Amino acid sequence: MIAGTRPLPIPDKRSAPFWEAAAEHVLAVARCSHCGAFSHPPDIVCSHCGSADPAFVFTPVDGAGTIRSWTVMRQSFLPGFDVPFVLVDVELEAQEDLRLIGRLVDGPDAVLQVGAAVSLVFEDVAPGVSVPAFALTNS
Amino acid sequence: MEASNRVAIVGYAQSPVTRHADQTLGGLTVETARRAIADAGLTVAQVDGFVTASLFPSAGAHAAEDGVSLVSANWLAERLGVNANYAAGFQGFGQIPGAVSMAVNAVVSGAADYVLVHRALHNPQGSYHQNPMEEAHGSQQWTVPQGYFGPLAMIALAYNEYLQRFGATREAMAAVVSEARKNGARIPWSYWFEKPLEAADYLAAPMINDPICRFDCDIPVDGVAAFVFTTAERARELPHRPVYVAGYATGAPVKRRLPLHWPLDDIMEVGAETSRRLWERSGVRPAEVDLPQVYDGFSPFVYFWMESLGLCPIGEAHRLVLEGGIDSDCPGALPVLSGGGALGNGRMHGVPQMLECYLQLSGRAGERQRPNPSIGVACHSSPHFGGAVVYSAQVF
Repeated sequence: MIAGTRPLPIPDKRSAPFWEAAAEHVLAVARCSHCGAFSHPPDIVCSHCGSADPAFVFTPVDGAGTIRSWTVMRQSFLPGFDVPFVLVDVELEAQEDLRLIGRLVDGPDAVLQVGAAVSLVFEDVAPGVSVPAFALTNS
Repeated sequence: MEASNRVAIVGYAQSPVTRHADQTLGGLTVETARRAIADAGLTVAQVDGFVTASLFPSAGAHAAEDGVSLVSANWLAERLGVNANYAAGFQGFGQIPGAVSMAVNAVVSGAADYVLVHRALHNPQGSYHQNPMEEAHGSQQWTVPQGYFGPLAMIALAYNEYLQRFGATREAMAAVVSEARKNGARIPWSYWFEKPLEAADYLAAPMINDPICRFDCDIPVDGVAAFVFTTAERARELPHRPVYVAGYATGAPVKRRLPLHWPLDDIMEVGAETSRRLWERSGVRPAEVDLPQVYDGFSPFVYFWMESLGLCPIGEAHRLVLEGGIDSDCPGALPVLSGGGALGNGRMHGVPQMLECYLQLSGRAGERQRPNPSIGVACHSSPHFGGAVVYSAQVF
């Protein structure tokens, strides 16, 4: 582990509602006001309808999903992470191909497979700052 | 396309590839550029176009300084003392095909008569990608707080998908990496000259980000390569046999994702579009390519490119490799790493692929010369973000 603390997300004008919701342990995903599709992360232009003024509304979703891939991080280039830890690439049930990458809290020895169900959890990393992560649903 | 076979490479130079050069990167670049121009039978004053892609591809906190950690086209033209008609940089991914496409278009349009394309790569002191950041701003706020950072994790997710989907083994990848290192060990300027890697050593290496180990990654280096481009007409008056650019493809539209999130389906679906453009624009079919040079900055790209280009069916590259199908010493095999690639030379981006196409198609590969290759393909980066160039020994 590299000494130091985990990097914290710095909210900006376009992301503040996401991190405010996360602090309450709610996953609020950007939803285009024109076409209603979710985008993560929210882009300048809606990935789905092409609106240049998507006026995203951060909308709570359940956060359940399935594992598409994973990696065991045995070395991290960032400070503050205890290695090894597992990262999972999750497709959320909320929308086809809506993907979120997060830590798997079950630990590095968890037996994983593509398609395994996961639930959303949050890691409280600093006062008022929580980061989305995942846990195996059947564990 | 209109520009097909109208522009040729007429000379080159490659610096030694070292962990840390004695010389500043800019000095090494000026020297290499002068050698390439002389190799083409030209004087510096005749070269009126300069193109590069100057990206310093580190995720670390190193300063990016022109002439020190990167070298822009304008910097080089100024230091060579040339009043260039055209000096430009390619900003996208697939830096080598992107820069080649700009050079081709500058020559065809008459913006410049002789264009020097260079690529200068630097290995800073300390860890290449380590970053002490405490705050994640902008796009990094979506992934860094979770610990998802750097290109190893990026390729690990895509490669694990490939392993799970197609049942590929580490033994197959050991064959890929040892093939790259076998060929790199024969190249005098390579960092890995006379240092092949046995499959057993690959298999014994510990994981960094599963399923990626150290030997799946090219090693950061200091190194510079330069190539001179001009019209097919002018090329005939110069000392070396020209190698023509038949076509190129870069910049297929990618899905917008989290930073550094490259799912396997994105790579393969957009890679198919990259390849479709490449074959259509060059007027070449995959079966006509006798010198495919796939990109291998991370070893899984070898599979992704072989399959995207249509050199083998989707999901089959790992089997082909295990059967000796990419052994450059085996007649009838696909010599996809005959130039050693990035794994066999060091982190020279797409330079080894381009250089192998040039050397083999111009008949200048020396002891490594293959019998009468006619069509080469030089790939760079991922099939979905990057690009490729088709080179030909003949105008067709």
